[in-house]
Amino acid sequence: MYAAILIGLILSIMPPQGSIKPVFLTKNAEFTLFSEAPIENIEAVSKSGYGIINTKNGEVQFGVSIRSFRFRKSLMQEHFNENYMESDKFPVAKFKGKLNIPIDISKDGEYTVIVTGDLEIHGITQKRSVPGTIKVSNGRLEVNTVFDVKCRDHQIKIPALVFKNVAEIIKITFKGTFSTVT
Amino acid sequence: MIKLYIFLMAFLLSVVQSTAQDMDSLMRNISSDQEPEAVTASFKSSRLILSQTTTMVKKFDLDFKVIHRFGDIGGTEGGSRTLYGFDNSSDIYIGFEYGISDRLNISFSRSKYEQLLDLQLKYALLQQKDKNGSPISLSALIKTGFTPYKVNTTIFNNYGNRFSHFAQAIISRKFSPNLSLQVSPGFLFRSVVLGNGDERTLFSTGFAGRYKFTKRFGIVADYYLINSDYRKDNPNISFYNPLGLGIEIETGGHVFTMNFANAKAIAENNFLPNSTSSWGKGQYRFGFTISRMFTLYKPKT
Repeated sequence: MYAAILIGLILSIMPPQGSIKPVFLTKNAEFTLFSEAPIENIEAVSKSGYGIINTKNGEVQFGVSIRSFRFRKSLMQEHFNENYMESDKFPVAKFKGKLNIPIDISKDGEYTVIVTGDLEIHGITQKRSVPGTIKVSNGRLEVNTVFDVKCRDHQIKIPALVFKNVAEIIKITFKGTFSTVT
Repeated sequence: MIKLYIFLMAFLLSVVQSTAQDMDSLMRNISSDQEPEAVTASFKSSRLILSQTTTMVKKFDLDFKVIHRFGDIGGTEGGSRTLYGFDNSSDIYIGFEYGISDRLNISFSRSKYEQLLDLQLKYALLQQKDKNGSPISLSALIKTGFTPYKVNTTIFNNYGNRFSHFAQAIISRKFSPNLSLQVSPGFLFRSVVLGNGDERTLFSTGFAGRYKFTKRFGIVADYYLINSDYRKDNPNISFYNPLGLGIEIETGGHVFTMNFANAKAIAENNFLPNSTSSWGKGQYRFGFTISRMFTLYKPKT
């Protein structure tokens, strides 16, 4: 009895057997946001998106620093940070979810997946299912996804004055290559 | 036996939890590995009331400024006779500031006061960053003022006497989304001084701050401490340190400041040595600043 507990204790102190984890990560993925409005189309890019994918349990996490988005007009970048996203208060946007199908990393192939989980932007979390593709090639994962974000869902207020300049629905494109943790 | 089951359950749970935690802690590690990003808009504009700020005009942008100071609201020159100063203009300033790069700005402006023309370079040495970056922003500026016209004396017959130079370090910190504070020590060099004992090299320290009540509306305050024995103990003329208080409104492309200040002039070369107006005597005035930002060229992201 006590021996069993002792063995249990030792086991729990020892690192779990699955320490060589099938975890893939990226630190320089590209996030693009696109707003299509009557007066102007606005596009911004961040090249420092990051994320991890665990192909064993299907766990997926993404994040991006709001301040890392670059706009063509610097004033837009300032307003994006100061007035809309409030990046001092909410510096990152993140997504935490699970893949709907398993990914076989032992051979090359392409998967159309749906990730379901929590999308947190502007401090507001929404349950979302986001479609995307994962391409396994040479032991790396190429991930692409396009999804829409409604400003209202995340309490991002657009004043009536600039309604013709900023779209209510923002298109987000994600592109990243994930490699195994070394 | 029951104990063992409980233990095994707890053990299994801890294993499951530890992998979940691994994902989260890995995510935290990656996010803390990210390069620190510059804090945005410590101030909405490169100018408050009296002071210039650490905020830079970005590359290829042009900031067009119109600044106005009316006449004394009270005192002998104020009152209803001059519609509380609105009949007079103490100073009118028209300026252009251009971003050569995100860190280097050049500006050219003209003031009504002494018909001063000035040319200025401002460089951002440090930018406040999030995470482990610099906790402050630091900009340095040098400015040369030139008085082109004949005033009522012959003193400007010597061309060298028409120049004044100003050098300043501006240190700011955005403490919260709402609160930004700034300190700016500087030297003004003049060839022509007001009288015997007036310092040719005048040291001053500016203190300024902004507090935002909403994203687009806030109050601003600006004060200059002028280090001058000549000004402190002058029996003939009284000098007062410049103090400005106002509100700031941002409307997209424009930043408006509406303020009250005792200083009559707008450019440092003018208001630092010549502020003889007193809040206590009603010699303060209404003023405004309009800043309009133009993007002259949009590079591809």
